[in-house]
Amino acid sequence: MGTAAERAEQLALVSRLQATYPEVPEWPAPDQVTHDHYQAYMKNSHDVGGELDVPHTYENKEEEQWELMTYVLCEVLGWRGIWVSEERRRIANVDVGRSIYLGLPYYNRWLWAVGRLLMEKGHISWGELTDRLVEVQDRYGGGLNGRIPEAQPKFEGDGSNVRRNKHHLDAVGIGDPQIFAGKAGPAKFKVGDRVKVRELPALFYTRTPEYVRGAEGMIAEVTYETPAPEDEAWDREDAKPEWLYIVRFNQSELWDSYTGPTNDTLQTEIPERWLESAG
Amino acid sequence: MSDHDHARTAKPMVEEITDFEVLEIALRELCVEKGLFTAAEHRVFTEYAEQIGPTPAARLVAKAWLDPEFMKLALADANTASKEVGVDWLDPTGFGTPSDFVAFKILADTPKVHHVIVCALCSCYPRPILGNSPEWYRTPNYRRRIVRWPRQVLSEFGLELPDDAEVRVEDSNQKHRFMVMPMRPEGTEGWTEDQLAEIITRDCLIGVALPKPGVTSNVITRTRPAIRPIAE
Repeated sequence: MGTAAERAEQLALVSRLQATYPEVPEWPAPDQVTHDHYQAYMKNSHDVGGELDVPHTYENKEEEQWELMTYVLCEVLGWRGIWVSEERRRIANVDVGRSIYLGLPYYNRWLWAVGRLLMEKGHISWGELTDRLVEVQDRYGGGLNGRIPEAQPKFEGDGSNVRRNKHHLDAVGIGDPQIFAGKAGPAKFKVGDRVKVRELPALFYTRTPEYVRGAEGMIAEVTYETPAPEDEAWDREDAKPEWLYIVRFNQSELWDSYTGPTNDTLQTEIPERWLESAG
Repeated sequence: MSDHDHARTAKPMVEEITDFEVLEIALRELCVEKGLFTAAEHRVFTEYAEQIGPTPAARLVAKAWLDPEFMKLALADANTASKEVGVDWLDPTGFGTPSDFVAFKILADTPKVHHVIVCALCSCYPRPILGNSPEWYRTPNYRRRIVRWPRQVLSEFGLELPDDAEVRVEDSNQKHRFMVMPMRPEGTEGWTEDQLAEIITRDCLIGVALPKPGVTSNVITRTRPAIRPIAE
């Protein structure tokens, strides 16, 4: 964006990116925001189940080399204890906000999450990241000319003082969630119990979808003990594990005007903290 | 990752490095320089990622159809059953892949219940035994609609189920990784494990298709080409 004209053109482009309900002015005063609108904005952007959509031509996608490398980068960081995958999901699927969630490619958000986490945990600085982005851009500036982009680390650093989680060592040979077995205490519910999903505010992150909040179902399975994703997402290694349950819902009760037969069901897995007895 | 779907022949030619490639390279270089992981570790995981695919899953189902004792094991302890087809869910880290965990569960279809799997929040999928998820499975479109209008979405895949068969959507939103065990179709009497595995496609194991003699490809084969696909 070197010229004034180019800057003006980019400003015009950004100005067209809609992010709010059109019926309310931007920067609303508190009295201009209804509870329903507040909940809509606060809804975790990954929680799309049941939102309105139309049939779409489904296709597969040939994977890019950089996408494979992104997947490997994220998993190796988990392997070496820099994060657990739930931290990635929180950052990449919710912290990005709804615009980026829907507007940019899937694996780009995985990368965004890596950069974000490395900065927040103090592994890299803004300056280091920015300088490297410029350097890589310049390396291939003027066109690839047949080259394949590649990583060229300058040296291999000494990682012995890097802060890593305990999990990546503790769970070796045992597995996750097996490492948490026996740590939650007795399960509150058993198979066959009728339960209701609590309607909690769920700020910032949850994996209990809105489409089951307030709904009643039946415990189909008592599954395993684990720290809830609401804790794992924040690197809370001190969090107490809890029992998870597969809960079965009747689709005709779950959805208003479900069009299928009355015996259709849906199951999803919910941490104990989200459930209360429905008697 | 092997994929039997067909790439279209015209690939877009983009001569400039993309923003995504720049970011991936910059982050990887910094990670290695900071000692977060080594280039050798990155290579080990890359090799693991490149070899996963749907073949072990198809073989597991074929084995289960042929051996009632193995069927029982597959449904009671899918982690252990996976070892029979060469998949150890603890690989390659020793505690499972960070994203796929060690809680595999197989959902057996019956004449009364047909299962279909989704991760409505992201794209959780049993990668170690089934390979990477197809693009459509990850899309908000599939995830929005399959939980609420499952029979409509299944009909778009060409799958119509009778009203007296319960359609059960399994929303895979925690550490469990699910796969469907479809029913063995008629017309496969006397078939070998290889013959059976050939008709157990990835789409059958997600639950958007049923295995049929003579049908060895997925429902969706149309594939968007990459700009710079995985280097051979």
